[in-house]
Amino acid sequence: MIKEIRQQEFDGMDRTRPMLVEFYSKTCGPCKMLAYVLRDIDAGMPDFPIYQIDFDENVELKERLGVSGFPTMIFFKNGEEAERMEGLKQKPAIVKAIEALLA
Amino acid sequence: MSIDFRKVTHIIDDQHAAEEKMLQECKSEKFSLDSPYIKLNPYLIAPLTALAHFTTPEAVAATVTVEGKEPEGNMRFLFPAATEHYLPIYGLYPDCANTVRIALDNGKSATLTIRTGKAPDTVHLPSGIKTTAEYMGDNVMFVSPTSPGNAAAYDYRGDVRWYVTLNLSFDLKRAANGRLLMGTHRLLMPPYHTTGVFEFGMIGKIYKEYRIPGGSHHDQIEMEDGNLLILTQDPPRGTVEDMCVLVDRKTGDILRTWDYRKNLPQDVGGSGSQDKHDWFHNNSVWYDKRTNSLTFSGRHQDAVINLDYDSGELNWVIGDPEGWPEDFVKKYFFKPVGDLSRFDWQYEQHAALMLPDGDVMCFDNGHWRAKVKEKYVPAKDNFSRGVRYRINTGTMEIEQVWQYGKERGEEFFSTYICNVEYYGEGHYMVHSGGIGTFRGETCNRPPVQFRGDDEQYVRLNSITVEIKDDKVVYEMRIPANYYRAEKLPLYCGEDKLSFGKGQILGSLGVTGEFGTIPDVEVGGDIPDKYKIKLAQEVDRLVMKGTFEKGQLVMLLLEGETTHAYFVPTTRRPFLAMCVGTFLEADDRAVEFPVSFENLSGTYKVSFIIDDRKYDGGVTLTI
Repeated sequence: MIKEIRQQEFDGMDRTRPMLVEFYSKTCGPCKMLAYVLRDIDAGMPDFPIYQIDFDENVELKERLGVSGFPTMIFFKNGEEAERMEGLKQKPAIVKAIEALLA
Repeated sequence: MSIDFRKVTHIIDDQHAAEEKMLQECKSEKFSLDSPYIKLNPYLIAPLTALAHFTTPEAVAATVTVEGKEPEGNMRFLFPAATEHYLPIYGLYPDCANTVRIALDNGKSATLTIRTGKAPDTVHLPSGIKTTAEYMGDNVMFVSPTSPGNAAAYDYRGDVRWYVTLNLSFDLKRAANGRLLMGTHRLLMPPYHTTGVFEFGMIGKIYKEYRIPGGSHHDQIEMEDGNLLILTQDPPRGTVEDMCVLVDRKTGDILRTWDYRKNLPQDVGGSGSQDKHDWFHNNSVWYDKRTNSLTFSGRHQDAVINLDYDSGELNWVIGDPEGWPEDFVKKYFFKPVGDLSRFDWQYEQHAALMLPDGDVMCFDNGHWRAKVKEKYVPAKDNFSRGVRYRINTGTMEIEQVWQYGKERGEEFFSTYICNVEYYGEGHYMVHSGGIGTFRGETCNRPPVQFRGDDEQYVRLNSITVEIKDDKVVYEMRIPANYYRAEKLPLYCGEDKLSFGKGQILGSLGVTGEFGTIPDVEVGGDIPDKYKIKLAQEVDRLVMKGTFEKGQLVMLLLEGETTHAYFVPTTRRPFLAMCVGTFLEADDRAVEFPVSFENLSGTYKVSFIIDDRKYDGGVTLTI
């Protein structure tokens, strides 16, 4: 499941279950490419939650999470950050990180 | 519209064709000393060189003299006895009817006139030079460009006596075989990483291209056995300028790799210009036989490091220890001793080298001149210099034993590039080639980073100084930025012209593919605004285009299997523009090469641009 969210939703959501949060920018080619990669992953793992957050419109949240560039993917487990990936990544690397979360 | 597609021959092929034609012309009739065959710029890239050919009934030696504007400017060389004479002529003046004398040792001689064309404006002329013909002897001063310009050589008067028309860059060194080693003009990835290193004669003939999969940058050095140490990186891992390879001189194969990520933490000790991508910024390599060690300069950690050649283990680090972990400092860093009032650490240094006695020299750019932002020194109060340190690896003490440049303050300040040379005790070169002002103020960042409208307010300068026994014996100023300077004679007995096709060695590696191909709409003409051009070279396809920041661009080669390449359009800020000669005027310009390694067959070229796929109208056969 891929969903675009804003800071309020992020703060209000239950983050104890594994999830991926991606910070993106509309002016970023790698982010556009990553969106296709995440859609591809979602097609094979429709129950795994993937949240997309606009880097430029959620300044307080990105600063709070220490996100300094885009795209940045943060993998959460039990409410804690388990892994972070910066820059465009390929599907196998992201799937591997998700599988580690789910293990 | 259809895209602009062309096939581009390699310069080695072009030179081979030119050489074959020239040799045919030489054999078409019997040329004599009185009426020799003369070919100006025989290898197409060195317009101030020529080749003279003639035969003599008996083997005789020949002396070539290119007459200078005054007798001290003569360039002279004695060639061994032969009957078939092929005499390289170096040191012609541009835009001039040059007088060249050829004297045989049998007493016969001839005087020729060789007319040269005007040098382009990018062969910048010195704004001043102070030295003597006696001091320079047969030498000329070579410089390699960082701002738009040509690698060129200047004599004691500042007259241009040699230049190349290819965009060759970075370090220029003469190898033991007399030929020159210099970075190629073929860009592999921005801003300046090229396919490798050329080995070429002064006449311009390229004998070898050593291709490196990760590209080469900044520096290379020849080992005693002829193999080459070349600075490189492994781009897919996301960092640059943090590796060195040993290249087999005969085959171009990579024999060994040193990866500094194994030696150093990447998130400490950062200079003012460091980022995660370019965390070390290795700008020089030096091999010291005495200690069997390698010395590397890392601009973005303000550190000169030394590794054991065999084990690859870190021996020591020269640099300001502030910000480094305590245990690391204790183990590897030096403690200053001696007259501490004269001691300064080096910051964002270049061109580190070890002297025969174990001392270490480098060009201390001094950029930021501190480890923490609050203490950064602005350009107007800063200085650059050549510095020599004496190190004791037993007691881990360091003493500054010589410097030149601090006393000149901001007028000699270069935030980037530059080098030093050691000729012997008390005899040095200090080349401050990256000086610049913006609107009259000394630049706090590399002046070639100013683009567009700002460029008109930038004034560049390069000051090359030689010091002997504490006296300045040479100073040349050129209104441009030059990465390094190197003093050499044009003629060198070992640099013998040999005929035959040059070799392209090594590998460009396999270009990384992207596994996900966006499912987008298909069809329509590629909009003209993208100005897409494709050039098929002998070993790669180079795509150029103009895209807005952040557009999604993918290049597809569709054959029996499809190869997809993500083309970056988001440019990262380059914090150390050591060579700006590859920069396009339009900062939206994108250049992306695809190596032909592992590709074979026929491929249809198409593009995905944002949410649409376009047929490129080009079919490639590899």
